[in-house]
Amino acid sequence: MCNIIGEKSENTAVSPVERRRELSLPKEQRCGIYVHVPFCRSKCRYCDFTSYPEKIGLAEAYMACVYKEMKLRAEELHGRKFASVYFGGGTPSVIDAKWIAGAVRRLRELYAVTPDAEITVELNPESVTAEKLAVYTAAGINRFSVGMQAASDVLLQELGRAHTVSGFRRAAALLRGKNFNADIMIGLKGQTAADVKEAVSLAAESGARHVSMYALTPEDGTPMYGDYLNGDLPDEDEVAALYNCGRAALAERGFYRYEVSNFAKAGFASRHNRNYWQRGEYIGFGVAASSFIAERRFTNTRDLDDYIKCILTDHYPVVDDERTTPQDAKFERVMLALRTEEGLSLKAYAAEFGADLLQDFSAPLQKNAPFLEQTEDGCIRIKEEYLFVQNHILVDFLQNA
Amino acid sequence: MAQANKYIRNFCIIAHIDHGKSTIADRLMELTGQVSARDMENQLLDSMDLERERGITIKLTPVRMYYTAADGCEYEFNLIDTPGHVDVTYEVSRSLAACEGAILVVDATQGIEAQTLANVYLALENDLEIVPVINKIDLPSADPEGTRREIEEVIGLDASDAPCVSAKEGTNIGAILEQIVAKIPAPKGDTEAPLKALIFDSYYDNYKGVILFVRIKDGSVRVGDLIRTFRSDKQYEVTEVGTFNPKLLPKDSLNAGEVGYVAASIKSIQDVAVGDTLTDARKPAAEPLPGYKKVQPVVFCGIYPLDGSKFNDLKDALLKLQLNDASLIFEPDTSVALGFGFRCGFLGLLHMEIIQERIEREFGLDIITTAPSVSYRVHKTDGEEFYVDNPSHLPDPADIEWMEEPVVKAEVYTPPEYIGAIMELCQDKRGVFKDMTYIDEKRVRLLYRLPLNEIIYDFFDGLKSRTRGYASFDYELVGYERSELVKLDILLNGDVCDALSMIVHKDRAYPRGRELAENLKEAIPRQLFEIPIQAAVGGKIIARETVKAVRKDVLAKCYGGDITRKKKLLEKQKEGKKRMRSIGSVEVPSEVFMSILKTNKQK
Repeated sequence: MCNIIGEKSENTAVSPVERRRELSLPKEQRCGIYVHVPFCRSKCRYCDFTSYPEKIGLAEAYMACVYKEMKLRAEELHGRKFASVYFGGGTPSVIDAKWIAGAVRRLRELYAVTPDAEITVELNPESVTAEKLAVYTAAGINRFSVGMQAASDVLLQELGRAHTVSGFRRAAALLRGKNFNADIMIGLKGQTAADVKEAVSLAAESGARHVSMYALTPEDGTPMYGDYLNGDLPDEDEVAALYNCGRAALAERGFYRYEVSNFAKAGFASRHNRNYWQRGEYIGFGVAASSFIAERRFTNTRDLDDYIKCILTDHYPVVDDERTTPQDAKFERVMLALRTEEGLSLKAYAAEFGADLLQDFSAPLQKNAPFLEQTEDGCIRIKEEYLFVQNHILVDFLQNA
Repeated sequence: MAQANKYIRNFCIIAHIDHGKSTIADRLMELTGQVSARDMENQLLDSMDLERERGITIKLTPVRMYYTAADGCEYEFNLIDTPGHVDVTYEVSRSLAACEGAILVVDATQGIEAQTLANVYLALENDLEIVPVINKIDLPSADPEGTRREIEEVIGLDASDAPCVSAKEGTNIGAILEQIVAKIPAPKGDTEAPLKALIFDSYYDNYKGVILFVRIKDGSVRVGDLIRTFRSDKQYEVTEVGTFNPKLLPKDSLNAGEVGYVAASIKSIQDVAVGDTLTDARKPAAEPLPGYKKVQPVVFCGIYPLDGSKFNDLKDALLKLQLNDASLIFEPDTSVALGFGFRCGFLGLLHMEIIQERIEREFGLDIITTAPSVSYRVHKTDGEEFYVDNPSHLPDPADIEWMEEPVVKAEVYTPPEYIGAIMELCQDKRGVFKDMTYIDEKRVRLLYRLPLNEIIYDFFDGLKSRTRGYASFDYELVGYERSELVKLDILLNGDVCDALSMIVHKDRAYPRGRELAENLKEAIPRQLFEIPIQAAVGGKIIARETVKAVRKDVLAKCYGGDITRKKKLLEKQKEGKKRMRSIGSVEVPSEVFMSILKTNKQK
């Protein structure tokens, strides 16, 4: 077990209040764009995302459809400013980089993407090349997210990843000097605290300025779920220990936690992700992409063929479409904000809803008082030691909503 | 004296689940032209979900048939359904008391099963004539001769002329009808004597009021008669009498020996208890029928609505259930932990479970049930004397001079090979051996004196598992005995939870406290803080367990597409929480209060 020392007295000289100020997105930045690229070289053993390794031949046709969807939506979203763009997957880097660059260009043509927008693309180590990076950079992409996952070939194989540790090192060398995130997974079969520490070291030494550290969620239908059913995966106590260990190691390296799974060097918290947790709007393009616009949450079809058919016949490929009620809105705001280091500002809540958070949620706030705290600048947040067990707390807020 | 109608036969069917009781009943009715087989499915066997699932019949649904026998005479048959389960002996005896005979159905492919045996013994003790029938002879694996031998050897009945039938195919059913006529005696009873009728069931009809199911032992009853109940001493004017076909079929009168129903605009459920005797108000009988023993609740527990606002719904449910279950008693009660509810009395553990399940299923109420208890007699230092069945009502130990606990005379009937196992079990339960007699080669009767509070926990389970279900067990309350009893408290997170307290023998306090704490540790889900669970006697902690704090409970990712999913997940978690009750700061699943005892098995 690691010691959780040094995380409070980080070497970075940023005060908590300043840090929260940095985290809080100004209202005009609360709008993002997500583009889903559903192709991969191979399917990982834990993956239940929408991705089609066998259909990569459709990439060109698919991206043409995504461009068209962008066009379909342009009019209704006119007037909104977008401060971030995120290409996720699948693995966006497996397709020809020109399709990504083309998407950025179209977005800039069709939408008010701010000049300083954060534009991220997800990469997998095995598909990164200097040529691709050159195309991305030229297109204005200024942030990368690398699926590093672990610093052990045994664990990477266990996950069914297509890369090795040396493959990651090679990719990281190409990314040196750029703003990039490295993903780390915890809760893997046979994973030790030392493995987690090593992964943190590898990410830090490779020059990552942001780390996303996820606990593996064994999803029904994935090969990994079998491991879970057979009791091969670490139990909740072990996962919590791995998490705490990773958290401490990250803190030692100057990564502070700004959300349950997200850690960054000062100034490098992801704008795109912060937008989600502040309940900002976002439009999603592509198969399975989700959107939240004008108090409506909607999601595109998860079926690639259906998606292409819809777009080609000028239809929105939306399958789920729900309007949020004012009650939903309040609860979601709390649920999302409590995931973050900054918590929920009473002032911001009052400004958004014209209501008092302490009154709206007086019962759950009182019941969970031992697990919450109010910061000097008027934010309610979950005490750091309970951030990893927040569902128990959130459920009470739901009962109130 | 005017003899009761000698052309009447009142009988029930005893059969193991799945040995073909319903099919045989079906065939009998078909052959007597009662109703079509199709209708019957829905009428005679109109049973509760609960019964089907557990394979037990709780409700009794009588039916009358007419049969012209080989002797050329027309006979009236009254079939009264019996529960097939050994634990529902109070229900079995209800139907047995209304019959003179029983058809014993045995599956030719499986032979005699333990539960059947227990009910046969019960029928024999009630002096019923047994008519064995061997069923399912159509199946390739049927062994009718082996089954015949088994009936003779295991039960000691003459089965030489037992009909071999196939109820499924309708083979040889006529032979059963003939044997009913030949073997089952006609009811005794004097039609001229003052009315004596046994109420063996009842239900509430919105138009007619309470419908009483009766077996007329003496005399007769007709519309317009003024009747009186013996026990509750109430008078009513009869508005309708009739028989069952199996629907209510009005008649002018019911006479000695007959089975039928009586309606008398009885509005109050509480006024007519099943088991009571009806008589003529103008010409009353001298004394009530022995019927079956007056039902006396011996097991008590608290029942609380999960949702505190449903108190009145729970009350209505209990009142309605009480109507055809006179043995159920209840009164309002409160608990610090659980709020307002009822303290209920039952005949036994199974009875308690049945009531609980019926409340939940038939009335759609979610309830919390506390651990069962018996009624103790407390003698205080100031000379005051009273009964306590709720552990939280026990006075301070300093004020108690001494206490008594109910003891029972327990009779266990068993094949001889299980004697040792049963003796060991009784010893374990503080039993005192009284007697052992061989009834025949295959049946031994063991007599024990046992504290009732040992029986209500897991005696049945223990007996069943040790004898593979072949022992039958009955007990009778014989009185109170001085005993060293203490109150065992459970502290959750430092606070006593009154709903978990129990009264135990002082020698049992330590092991039971430990078991309870262990079971609670398993049953209470982890929460955000560590929860100490302590067992204490008189303020002294005797056992401690800890529910560790939850350490991981969060969705790893929460980006654009995860938000709706996360909300749904939380909603699901919230549904789960609805089944929980907050005891102080601890959330406890509602089934904990009861289940901790069930898991209290022989370890």
